Amino acid sequence: MRHTQWIWLPVAAISTSVYAATYLTTEHAQQAIFPGAKLTPASLTLSGPQVGQIEKLSGVDVRNKELKAWKVAGGGWFIVDEVVGKHEFITFAVGLNADGSVKQIEIMDYRESYGYQVRDAEWRRQFVGKTAADPLKLNQDIRNISGATLSSRHITDGVKRVLATYAVALK
Amino acid sequence: MRSPSNSLRRARPLLGTIVDIRVDDAPRDASAAIDAAFAAMERVQRLMSAHDADSELSRINREAHLHAVEVDSWTWQVLEQALAIHRATDGLFDCAVGRELAGWGLLPEALFAARPSRVTPSLAQLELLDGDRVRTDAPLGLDLGGIAKGFAVDRAIDALRAHGIASAVVNAGGDLRVIGGRTEPIHVRDPRDPGVLRHLGDLAEGALATSASYFSAAQANVPGASALLDPRSRRALVAERSYSVIASSCLVADALTKVLAVCGDRQHPCFARHAAQAVVLEAMA
Repeated sequence: MRHTQWIWLPVAAISTSVYAATYLTTEHAQQAIFPGAKLTPASLTLSGPQVGQIEKLSGVDVRNKELKAWKVAGGGWFIVDEVVGKHEFITFAVGLNADGSVKQIEIMDYRESYGYQVRDAEWRRQFVGKTAADPLKLNQDIRNISGATLSSRHITDGVKRVLATYAVALK
Repeated sequence: MRSPSNSLRRARPLLGTIVDIRVDDAPRDASAAIDAAFAAMERVQRLMSAHDADSELSRINREAHLHAVEVDSWTWQVLEQALAIHRATDGLFDCAVGRELAGWGLLPEALFAARPSRVTPSLAQLELLDGDRVRTDAPLGLDLGGIAKGFAVDRAIDALRAHGIASAVVNAGGDLRVIGGRTEPIHVRDPRDPGVLRHLGDLAEGALATSASYFSAAQANVPGASALLDPRSRRALVAERSYSVIASSCLVADALTKVLAVCGDRQHPCFARHAAQAVVLEAMA
């Protein structure tokens, strides 16, 4: 029978403005998307014209000319890319099938930072001595964040760019 | 509080957000369980995405006023529960708000074209027919963004359980559910500074969802818009507040946060009726 167990905190504890979660190393991401497969490194540097083509095809800027790619024996590709948002930095892996379609996407690393809150002294004072952690220090114990939905639009754009990169440089 | 040892954690972009699944006391086939959980959520996305012209939801919005549309049992369940909550809250929860959201740049305009209508669309105008069919008299511009994520989380939990997982957390961009009885600290973003995380409470079993306007207000193409709106006035709700609901299912938690945002009343009878608890968080100082 379903039930709920919820404990209120007497005082809302304040936490830091930096959050990070690491999910997978490159090797583990490869195993997660292509279990048991043999992958051969096929990284390359994109040329200027290629960058232009990718940007035109995807509508997304290319920030990094170094493409981290692996060819999968039997067909398919494994690519690692990253997207940088205003407050988020996300590294992700895309597995492509032999026909270039997306097989699976795995987030490898997620970081968000809203920077030091430069507000008036009164506001900052409430952080002093509140928690063991300095507001600037990364707190690894933070998890289970609930809030208004953070859009995955950046990642969607990143995947579009990966697909265009495949079409221009790998196919 | 350390992460539990022997836990497996994965995240993927889904349902317009990032979905994070963590399995504790992970057995050897935990990744198969997690794959199944993600697959269940992908199914919800395929059926109910308002951004996808090929989803069942889009088909309902295009065709249900022309002829009855047969839908998947999952779509049916969501619509049925949405309608029940709509009635239980005297219309404070209403999915027929897609047109406004599209006007503010939060949904694709092409899928929510304005149609001349004398009657303001309302979920109450949706007819559920036998044979898992739905029809309407006029296009409703339905958006399930306020309830489908919660439903998806519940289906992910079902998939994990079907694979023998007893202890896990599924978090779809803030709509989350915990199973297994292990105490999980829940952090909620400060409504004024979303980068500041506040430890709201601890959840050992059950679901929690939060609605606020800080991200969608930034995404909207119109100042003063947000994904949260009052279906009675059709006005956006942009307050420096965050609305969270704790319930036994994530669908109920998700849907009732919208009600809480609209009425601002933690004591509204709908919360007790659904065995839910409501929290309103004000910005720090």
